[in-house]
Amino acid sequence: MTGPQDAETGAPGTAASVVFRNVTKRYAGADVDAVSDLSLEVPSGEICVLVGPSGCGKTTAMRMVNRTVEITAGEIEVGGTPVTAHPPAQLRREIGYVIQQIGLFPHRTIAENIGTVPALLGWERERTRARIAELLELISLPPEVADRYPAQLSGGQQQRVGVARALAADPQVMLMDEPFGAIDPINRERLQNEFLRLQAEIQKTILFVTHDIDEAIKMGDRIAVLREGGRLAQFATPAELLMAPADGFVEDFVGADRALKRLALMRVADVDLWAAPLAFVGQDTAEVRAKLDGAEVPWALLVDSERKPLGWLSERDLAAATVPARPDISPDPVLDRDDVLRDALSDVLQSQAHYAPVVDARGVTAGVLSLEVIADFLSSDEARVEEHAAAERPLG
Amino acid sequence: MPAAVATLLADVEIRAPGTGPTTCEGRNEGVCPGFIIENIDDYVSPLVEHVALVFGSVLAGFAVAMLLAILSHGRRWLIPPFIGATGVIYTIPSIALFLLLLPITGRGTLTALIALALYNLQIVYRNANAGLANVPAAARDAGAGVGMTLRQLLWRVELPLALPEIIAGLRIATVSTVAIATLAIFAGAGGLGEVLYNEGIQRDVFKTNIVFGSVLAVALAIAFDGLLVVVQRFAAPWQRARAL
Repeated sequence: MTGPQDAETGAPGTAASVVFRNVTKRYAGADVDAVSDLSLEVPSGEICVLVGPSGCGKTTAMRMVNRTVEITAGEIEVGGTPVTAHPPAQLRREIGYVIQQIGLFPHRTIAENIGTVPALLGWERERTRARIAELLELISLPPEVADRYPAQLSGGQQQRVGVARALAADPQVMLMDEPFGAIDPINRERLQNEFLRLQAEIQKTILFVTHDIDEAIKMGDRIAVLREGGRLAQFATPAELLMAPADGFVEDFVGADRALKRLALMRVADVDLWAAPLAFVGQDTAEVRAKLDGAEVPWALLVDSERKPLGWLSERDLAAATVPARPDISPDPVLDRDDVLRDALSDVLQSQAHYAPVVDARGVTAGVLSLEVIADFLSSDEARVEEHAAAERPLG
Repeated sequence: MPAAVATLLADVEIRAPGTGPTTCEGRNEGVCPGFIIENIDDYVSPLVEHVALVFGSVLAGFAVAMLLAILSHGRRWLIPPFIGATGVIYTIPSIALFLLLLPITGRGTLTALIALALYNLQIVYRNANAGLANVPAAARDAGAGVGMTLRQLLWRVELPLALPEIIAGLRIATVSTVAIATLAIFAGAGGLGEVLYNEGIQRDVFKTNIVFGSVLAVALAIAFDGLLVVVQRFAAPWQRARAL
């Protein structure tokens, strides 16, 4: 709560860290703690996902930040200030809040919904109006929805309005409780990507609750896996979590396909590609055969003068004196360096050759991807230290 | 006729119809439009009194019932006693209630207003209660989560969302009050009861006034109800939007 309260740009720098110090919650009448001695630190501008099975206390942990659930023991600090330093209502106006049921006020227009916190803070009408327009643009909704009621919007649009409402007073911290839980799978994927793009712009500190490990891996800079009784099982980056689950519980929770999940975090550009023996149209096949000896890839890749892949040369192609212009084997699939590694693996598995040329943005051959390359990568030290590469995030 | 009711009616001014078997009203065999037209001015003041009784008592009953609803909102243990108490009042026969109030407030409009207002409590309170209970939990959670105080939550979220149900209760209360207020004459408060029972309570029922008095009461009920329908539409524009 140290930053300027009235800063209303979406610019980075208006985020604050969130620190849990030995936080415990026991509900009145309960025999066990809902959250037990939880300590973790969310650096400013990062998304921290709280994930775990139902009853693990993830929502309780999140709700203690804005004191919609009161802390039993321990301390939570936002931007260095204990959350108990202010009355709850004041605290909550400075923390964005997005819930699964979206919770738009049905009797208020979209503009009024987005302007809820500015109204509570007593902003001037003109300032509120400008902020609403700005936010509608940020969440890619046309200005004319401002005067509609929530019931007139689709579920996805309502969800985005819920995010805009949480952002209205430019809070330093956002709490998101299964924000995409009520959205159908196709739209969820789209909204997740949209939100990551938005976050790249606004760089808020976000506590994000989900029970879906895939969503956690996709959305989180860091993931806190909680187990029953609100005990922290592991707090790590997605890559670390997938590489080295702390114990059997985390391993089970992450799932048997964690190697594939790791690939979803990477792009083709992240791995060391093999070099293919390149061949050019009209080249002497003897030269090409020579190159094939001892090459990593046992096929020669025919490229044009700009080194764009044309196809793989078969034994029959190489039987001729010179390299033909039309090779027997199609180069497909041709992968892009920016492709997500998991998708690339799928392409390679389906291809005839089990090898796939990789091209850069201009279409020039950059190397070859094979199953061995991927397998080597997964067992390499490089992958172990690889930070969250956020393959599903927008580039740059 | 019970002596008490006779006492109540003691100073009611009798508007006697024309006598003799030659006139329509004298024969008293059906409705006499001629009589109504001739004496139309005599119906105006009972009607105005009736409107005032309904308006005043519904307003007072509404105010008290809403107060009870707001009081018991967030103090849920108050709801059963409130429903019980207003329910008991609702079951007291109206004339008995007038008689019960007589020693305290005496004869006249005040007694009638209090009694009629008391009858409204049950309906308005129950509806307001249901309306507040039906506010979507998500809206409440979101309101508290963005930093509304309990009072702001009540006035900005809960009451507006409960409004359609509150007004629905008000409509029922109003229509039933129009009917019950015809008994206000037994508290000496006038109203359309003057038209209906003035003669009706005597041995010979004056059919013309029974019919025309009823027509006026029904018309009044429809008018009040229509007014509230309009209020409802304006008070809850989002409900119309949903239908789009």
